Amino acid sequence: MPDASGPGRPEPSDAELLRRHVAGDTEAFGELFRRHRDRLWAVALRTVCDPEEAADALQDAMVSAFRRAGDFRGESAVTTWLHRIVVNASLDRLRRRAARPALSAGDEQAFEALVTQDGDPTRSTDTRLDVNAALRMLPPPQRAALVVVDMLGFGVADAAIILGTSPGTVKSRCARARARLLPYLAHLQGNRSASESVQPAQGNDS
Amino acid sequence: MAHLDAEVLAEFRAGLITGRRGASITAHLAGCDRCTALGDQLAGVSALLASVPVPAMPDLVAQRLDTVLAAEAASRPVRAASPEQAERARADRPGQRATRHRRTPRPSFRLLSARVLAPVAVVLLAAGGYGLSRAIGPGSQVTSSAGSAASRSVASAPKAAPSIAASAHGPLNTPVSPPVRGAQGTVPRPQRITAANFTLVASATNFAAATLGQQVETDLGRPASAEAAQPVTAQLRACVQNLTRGAALVRVESARFAGQPATLVVARNGSADTAWIAGPDCSATSRDVLATTSVP
Repeated sequence: MPDASGPGRPEPSDAELLRRHVAGDTEAFGELFRRHRDRLWAVALRTVCDPEEAADALQDAMVSAFRRAGDFRGESAVTTWLHRIVVNASLDRLRRRAARPALSAGDEQAFEALVTQDGDPTRSTDTRLDVNAALRMLPPPQRAALVVVDMLGFGVADAAIILGTSPGTVKSRCARARARLLPYLAHLQGNRSASESVQPAQGNDS
Repeated sequence: MAHLDAEVLAEFRAGLITGRRGASITAHLAGCDRCTALGDQLAGVSALLASVPVPAMPDLVAQRLDTVLAAEAASRPVRAASPEQAERARADRPGQRATRHRRTPRPSFRLLSARVLAPVAVVLLAAGGYGLSRAIGPGSQVTSSAGSAASRSVASAPKAAPSIAASAHGPLNTPVSPPVRGAQGTVPRPQRITAANFTLVASATNFAAATLGQQVETDLGRPASAEAAQPVTAQLRACVQNLTRGAALVRVESARFAGQPATLVVARNGSADTAWIAGPDCSATSRDVLATTSVP
């Protein structure tokens, strides 16, 4: 990364930290992880929808990244590479969980109960809670795509690397996921807290 | 043409439907308020998702991962970094040299992490106690001898608590304040301003490269007005994360640079603050920085 030695930027770049880690620096990987851990946690948590499983997935991913750092070829940004490993570990966890019966059947009802509590679906209780519940409705590949693109702000090209698929598939998964979430999230639009508000939908509402 | 269903419209908006079919959808939208509104709602889904803040990693998870990575580091074959590399590693952390004691051949990850994190922890405490604008005022100093563990409160995860708590006391050997339990067994977390939770404030300043340092200082001297909070896109959050890499944020302002819309990002970087002027293309992977400066 060309920005490593810019004025006022004494800290090393991600790529430099990874290089130092590979060279034997015992601190470098931990520093790299701390830089990105909240976003890595977010992608794991939102993809697997369960804090315990997310922590396990993230642990699998970080151990893997720690050991396989030498394989990083610099073809993408280090963050993209880290996110890819976390998404893979998260989807692996979900596949393993899917092999065990337990979740999913009751999810829809739990979700309905959540959004319609107090008998008033238009009254938003907690946007974040509702969004998390709605994300659970999606098939994992769509969910991972939507989390990476819409929630974490990665571009389609990087998202394709992270998800190990083509840009067209990323777009398609995101589009289907948005359409699927629409009925569950429409009531939240225009009903957000000040600091987290987004532009209200423009246009010709009839 | 019949009304569009949400999936078709979403695919169209994603650029997946082109050619004659795309043209017919464009034509339909031009005359159909209902489908136009549906399209707006789809845009609203993305905007809503972007508005959800990135959750901070719970402390217990962070501690667990630190421990796991420390074990990885400890079990690694010894492979000493070159002296030149070690020297540069030290030079990269101004302010740390004084507190760096003896260096063991294979120092534990946790010991080092506690030291590296110390300045951040100080800012954490400041932000939690006084709010952002107070914490960042020029000359505001909050001293603390506590390491990172003391300033980070323990999140709820009762299952893992006992073992993690024990390991936090042992290797860190830093004073850990007794957690104050809330009604639900959780502890209020001091608000640390990062890319995950910052508020974007509006500024009328039109920054220029030649006067950037002075202008940033002037802006920071003014308290940020909470009422002027602006919407934050996922791209901007990702951009701020990309620039600051987890450092504590001082201020994020929607402003202008050379007359064009730009974002001022100021983060605490050791003893000094670093200011960036981010352009519109700045994102998770693109560091579109129009100008940068250090603020003493």
